[in-house]
Formats: sequence, C-alpha cells, structure tokens
Amino acid sequence: MKKILKVEQIQKYYGNKDNITKAIDGISFDVEEGEFIGIMGASGSGKTTLLNCISTIDTVSSGHIYLENQDITEIKEENIAKFRRENLGFIFQDFNLLDTLTIEENIALILTINKVQEKEIDKKTLEIARKLGIEEILTKYPYQVSGGQKQRCAVCRAIVNNPKIILADEPTGSLDSKAARQLLEIMEDMNNKMKATILMVTHDPLSASYAKKILFLKDGKIFNKIEKGEKRRKDFYNEILDVLALLGGDTRDVR
Amino acid sequence: MLGKLSFRNAKRQAKDYCIYFITVIISVALMFSFNSIAKSNDISELSSYMEFFSKAISGISILIVLVMAWLINYCMRFMLEKRSKEFGTYQILGIEKKSISNIFTLENLMIGGIAFIIGIAIGTFVYQIFTSIIMNLFNQPYQIEISFSIKAVGMTAIYFFGIFALVLLNCRRKIKKTKVYDLLYANKKNENNMIKNTKGNVILFALSIVLLVGAILINNNEFANASNMIGRNIFIAIIMLIVGIYLFYISISSFIVKRYLNNKSRKYKKDNMFLYRNLTSKINTMSLSLGTIALMFTIILIGGNIALLMNNMINNEIEMGYPYEIMISAADGDFSKYKEYIEKNTKVKDMYEYRLYNIKGIGLSTAFEKTPFKGAVDKEIDSVLSLTTYNKLREILGYEKVDLQDDEIMINCLKTAKGGLEKYTKENDKTKIVGKDVKIKEIRSENIAQVGFNGSYYAIIVPDSLIPLIEKEDKRLRDKNDDNATTVKEGEEKSEIYFLDFAYNFVATTENMTDEKFYKELSNYIVKQEREIAGEVNGEEQNYNIEISLANVQTKGERMSQTKSFYTIMSFLAFYVALIFVMATATLLAIQQLSDSEKYKYRYELLRKLGVDELQINRTIFKQLLFYFAIPMVLPVIISIPVILGVGQIFTVAVTMEEIFKNIGIMLGMFILVYGIYFIATDVQFDRNINGNG
Repeated sequence: MKKILKVEQIQKYYGNKDNITKAIDGISFDVEEGEFIGIMGASGSGKTTLLNCISTIDTVSSGHIYLENQDITEIKEENIAKFRRENLGFIFQDFNLLDTLTIEENIALILTINKVQEKEIDKKTLEIARKLGIEEILTKYPYQVSGGQKQRCAVCRAIVNNPKIILADEPTGSLDSKAARQLLEIMEDMNNKMKATILMVTHDPLSASYAKKILFLKDGKIFNKIEKGEKRRKDFYNEILDVLALLGGDTRDVR
Repeated sequence: MLGKLSFRNAKRQAKDYCIYFITVIISVALMFSFNSIAKSNDISELSSYMEFFSKAISGISILIVLVMAWLINYCMRFMLEKRSKEFGTYQILGIEKKSISNIFTLENLMIGGIAFIIGIAIGTFVYQIFTSIIMNLFNQPYQIEISFSIKAVGMTAIYFFGIFALVLLNCRRKIKKTKVYDLLYANKKNENNMIKNTKGNVILFALSIVLLVGAILINNNEFANASNMIGRNIFIAIIMLIVGIYLFYISISSFIVKRYLNNKSRKYKKDNMFLYRNLTSKINTMSLSLGTIALMFTIILIGGNIALLMNNMINNEIEMGYPYEIMISAADGDFSKYKEYIEKNTKVKDMYEYRLYNIKGIGLSTAFEKTPFKGAVDKEIDSVLSLTTYNKLREILGYEKVDLQDDEIMINCLKTAKGGLEKYTKENDKTKIVGKDVKIKEIRSENIAQVGFNGSYYAIIVPDSLIPLIEKEDKRLRDKNDDNATTVKEGEEKSEIYFLDFAYNFVATTENMTDEKFYKELSNYIVKQEREIAGEVNGEEQNYNIEISLANVQTKGERMSQTKSFYTIMSFLAFYVALIFVMATATLLAIQQLSDSEKYKYRYELLRKLGVDELQINRTIFKQLLFYFAIPMVLPVIISIPVILGVGQIFTVAVTMEEIFKNIGIMLGMFILVYGIYFIATDVQFDRNINGNG
C-alpha cells in the first residue's frame, strides 16, 4: 500500500534553556493510505502536540514530516493555507463550527474555498449530509442542533473535499455515549467504504477500539503499538486496556 | 460565500457589541453636529466673535479624533481577540490570512458604514437642537429645518473613515503576525494575575499618595495669590498629578489585597473573597488603561469646572458691570447731543446724567485686605456719589430708596467684596471724610455698574450736605493732575498723578437690547463729537492716537454679544469634550466587562452550582460592576475637588464660593448621569449574559 504520511524523528521542545519540556521526544512512524490510526496516551504524553505538528498548527523543533513526499515542516507561510485546504480535514473536540453559518453553509464553505463549481457544491453537500444522516438539519444553525449533529457536520466538512488525511482531536470528547458511538461508526464506515485515511487522538479506550492500529505515547515517546487485525472489537478493547494498565494511567475510571 | 460570511458576522457583531455600535453612532452624531455648527452660516453670522468659536471647534475636533481612534482601536482589537478561535478555524479550513483580513475589514466597514449613516441622521437632529439653543441665547428667531452641509458630512467622513482605515490596517497587521496555534488555544492561556512584590507595591502606593497630595498643595499655593505669575510650579504639579495617578492604579490592587484578603475575618465575610479576587486580577492586568481613564476623568472634571467658572465670571461681570443698557462717561459735562442721538436710534426707558466725584482715599484699601480685591484697589483715590444720585441710580433699576443722616456715609460695592468689607467696618465704623467725622452706616452691594464705571469695585455714598466740600476736593485733584500733566517735562520725574474717574457719567435703559452695530455707530459718533470739542478748545485740529480718551462708551448689548460668544464656546466645547471622554471611557469599561462575561459566566455558574441563589448572584454582579466602574472614578473626584477649589481662588473676584460649589455639583451630576447610564446598561447586559442560556 501507498505511504501517505511519514513522520521522521520529530521532536518538540517547550520552555527556555534552563527548563526544557520535551513534549515530543523523537517519534517516527508511517501511515499508509486507508489506515485508521488511533493515538493514545495520558494527558501530557504529547498526543495533541503530535497531531498539531502534523496538521501544521504547531511547528516541530527538529525532524521531518512528509505528506506524499512533500515535507510539511518546510512549507512556506504563504503556501500553508493552500496546503491545508487541499490536503487536510479537521475534526475537533469542540466542533469549531462557524455559528453565523447554517449547517449546510458550514459544509459548503470548504468547497467554496477550494473553488469547486457552484453546481457541484450543492450536490456534494447534500450527498455527504445524506451519508452522515444530517440532511434534515441542513438549514439550521449550529446552536439549534445537538452536539452529535454538530460533530457529524464537522465530519462532513472534514471529508467533503476528499482530503489526503483526516485529523481528529478527541472527536468524541464532547459527546454523550450514544452520539459518540454513532460518530465512531460513521468514521469507521468512512474508513472502510470511502477509504479515508484517519489519524485520531483520544484517551478513551472505547473510541480507540474503532481504529485499526493504535500508537501509545508516554513522555513524548512511542511506548507501544498494537493492531486490530482480525480481532473482534471487544477483544481489541481489552487489549487496549491491558496496554493502558501497563502505561500506568487512565485505567482506574474504565474498569 | 465569504461575503455572506462577513455580512452575517457584521450583523452578529452589531448585536453582541451593541454598546460599541451605539457609541460609534453617538460619536459620529456628535462629530457631525459640531462640524455642522462650525460650518454653519446662521451661527457665524450671529456675532463677529463667533468666528473664533468655529476655529476652536475645528481645533478641538482633532483632540476628539485622537480619543475616538484610541477607543475604536481598543474595541476592534478586543473583538479580534474574542474571535481568535473563529479566525483560527478559518485558517485551519485553509482560508488564506489575506482573505481573513478581508473578511474582518469588510464586516467592520459594514458596521462602520451603517453606524456612519445612522450617526449622520441623528447628528442632523442634534445639530438642529444645538443651533436653536445657540440662537435662543442670542435672542434670534430660528426655524427648525432639515438641511445639512455637505462640507460637514465630508469632514466627518474624512475623520471617521480615516480613523477606521488606520485601525483596520493595524488589525490586519496583527492578523498577519499571529500564528494559528495561538489563535486556537488563546482561551486556554491563564491570565497573569499573580501579584508580585506586594511590599514594593505598598511603597508605590504610598508614593502615589504623596505625589497627589503634593500636587494639590502646590497647585493651591500657586493660585492662592492672584497676582502671582502662574508658571513652572504648576507644570511640576501637573507632572506629579499624572505620575501619581498612574502609580496609584499600578499599586492599588495589592493595597486592596493587603487590606481585604490578608485579613481573614474580612476576607471570608459574604462574597468579599470572590469579588476582590475578580477585581484584583482584572486591575492588575489593566492598571495602565485604568490610569489613563482616571487621568481623562480628572481632566474632564477640572477642565469642565474651569469652563463653568469662566462662564460664571463672565455672567457675573455682565450682571455687576452692565446693569444699564448704555453707559457713557466723559470729561465734559454736555450730553445733550448724545441723548438726542440715542433717543433717535433706540427706544429709551430711562436716562440720567450725573457727577462722579473723586477724593483722596480715606483708607478703605485696608478694609479691602479681607476681600478678594486685596491689593487691587487704588488707595490714593476714592469715588464718591451723592445720595440723590445714588437713589436715582437705584430707582432706574427698581431698587428701593435709602436714606442717610448728615454724619453718615455708606459704601456700595460688588457683591464679592461685601462680606470682607462688613467684617472690617463692624470694628471700624468711624472715619473722616473731607475733614468731617462720619459713621459708616452700612455696606450695600446692589449692582450699579461698579466695574470701573461708578467707581472701581466700590463707591462712597455721601449725604447731599457734604457735596460742596467733596466738589472742592474733586476740583483740587483734577487741577493738580492738569498742572502735573502740563508742567512735566521730558526726563523730569513725574510728580504724583492720580488715576481719576471721568467727571461726568450718563446712564440709560432701553426697551430692547441694543446690538453691536448700535454700539459701533454710537461710539464713532461720540469720538467725533469729543474730538470737535477738544479741537475747539485748543483752537486747532488735534491728532489722537487713542480712540476714546475723552469719553468712554459701554453698552450691554455689545458686551453680551461678545461674552455670549465666549460663553457658548466654553460651554459647548467643555460639554463636547467631556461627553466624548466619558463615553469613550465608559464604553471601554463596559466592553471589557461584557467581553469577559464568558469567563465570568463560568465563575458565576460555579457559584450557582455551589448553591448561591439567583438574587445573590445578581447582587454580586452588581457589586462587581459597581466597583469596577467606581475604581477609575473615585480618585479623580477626590483629586479634582481640592484642585478646583484651589484654581477657584483666582476667580473669587467675580465668583462667590457658593457658585463654585454649585459648579462642582453640576459637573459631578452630569458626569455621574452619563456614566451611570453606561453602568446600568452594562449591568443589564451582563446579567443577561450570565443568567441567559446561550
């Protein structure tokens, strides 16, 4: 399979000379097309920083990140917006929808930015909304719909432009368990049927169990890697819990 | 789509930042109405002195533009910060920074454009109101009509959009500079509210108090003596005041902390802890802007009061100096031609001509030591009126007749001198006048034109039986002056020359107030006549350098049009500047609190969850806002009162103490009224933000 993302020995330091915090301390891994990777770790383990570096929100202190052979750590400031809109899709914990636009417009916005033809925009928006089951609320504003619907709108926005990779930061963090399960099933579906490549940061083992492969971070380093393979989700979930127990955090509240 | 986005954002902004929007509208309205007044023909034709008024308005406008620029810049940057997450999202979605800047620019131009149009519309009405007030002051009829000057619209547009363009450029630069990371995670940053070095701050606090008290003392000392040249010391006092105010606001939070939070019993009383922590963290992060606001308030209060004092002084001067419509004094006693002229040109109610005598001073200057006129009265010469003359002068003005025994005299003086003189004459009521022993019966203070007409500040009233002696004394003085004037040769030291009043006075009251034109023509006529007389006396044409040296003409109408222009200038400018300053600062405070209400909402929500009921929460909100609004106001009020009383000392010649206190009351009242409206609006909106669900 084709390698989409290649992370090479990246490091991220915070602080000054006397007091350095290594948020990321030499991480390398590859992502292949169509993969669904979960990144887990306790708070402060560097998982969000890692995602921010990949999504060009934050910069690395050293090392390289390649997206289809393009080194994103060396993209010039003036080209970065173009890079983001053409290659990346984002899903945030707190949705980051624009509350002055309707659900429909929030999705369509990304297409207008990418200068898709006007006729296409309507068709694509409706199509993706139908897939994610939010076509009934398209004309509503974000504050008029539930959290789960908001997040599904955000997913539509992330995927409608067929980005090379979708980056999700705690996508279920603000949702109740039913909405969370719904969303995860959608993401799994996207991965299976539409061959979307997804990188998801989470600290919730249940969410992580929907991924095909999980990287565990501890103190800015990769601590462990597990793959789902042909396992049932229940088994994979238990396996995750075992690793977390080894990791020494976040397990008390799940068992 | 981006256009639609910015349009919707603009709509939301106008709603969310209602106070900002309204302030921009009011500012435009005021700017426009004052520019219209500056450019108005109706007003500039009122009096020849109004030209200065227009110039003063244009000058002040520059100051206002600066304040407006500061306010708009502050508000826009605040909004930029508030919306950082939204802009971060735009960037994440791949919208170029340039487009984001464009969205922001576009929506602000929409807001600004709408505010401008509404402002011009309101300003047109405000202009009509101001114009009719001014016209009314000048007793001119005025028909309200909707019209506006394109020039004024143009000027306002240039000012306003100039400010907007500069501020927007500044914001665009800021957008360009910030990183997306900072935008997305801005709200996760902690407010830096640790109070560092409490001890140092207490020293700063003490220092600021010392500076402020010092500044007030220097100021009051400097103004205590009217004859002092006001110079370098005042400059030092002003600098001390400015530094003192800033130091005060830099150090006050730790003072509050020390006083309230270190004392456990006080700290745990009611909601003190919550309130003071909210306040101190805020004050600490904005001590500089609080200092600036307080400084502006101090300027408003002191400046406004000085303007009111000047108005009082001028009004009192007219009241004291011009009770009669026409006043002429001349060296020569023949007024028949002038009477004829006056009767021909205006409707006369009453006319009276009389003698004003001068005698050698009887020592009243010591009595004036206790009045504001200390050192200002001539101790060589006193002015004297006969009782008959005095009663006639009173009768014209509608005062009752007074009486004197043959061994009594009385003094009529300006009202500001009465108290001091009475104090003196209570103990020294016996004196000698032209060799006779007399008793000073009483001190009166009716206004009979004693600002250099019927005596300078006072005149002695004597019974008619004394007049022959007085007349002899008067003639002696005048002859002596004439002798001295003619015998003094160049290089020779002048022997005593008395500053004598004109011997003959004439007063008239009229049905209607006379105007500037009447005054000019009358004085030209009199100058011509007096020249002829003087020319006849000396047998040849004389060349005069001084226009009116042989006579003095004053009319109330001319003086009024002169001083009313000044009155209008002072009160309008003071009002204009004060209003904009108060509005600007109150808006700043309101916007800051309202924008922070998101954060406060969380804090108050927590209080609610901990079991504090709605009523109590509203009370705490009220208290928080009250403190917040009061903090930058209390110090200026405390400082300005002694400073005004100090400055007021030089006005005591024409303004009484009661009037000074009344001024302070008026100024504070108006100030608190405008400020209070903002406070209440903020409280209502804040309550809604905290308690509402959204």
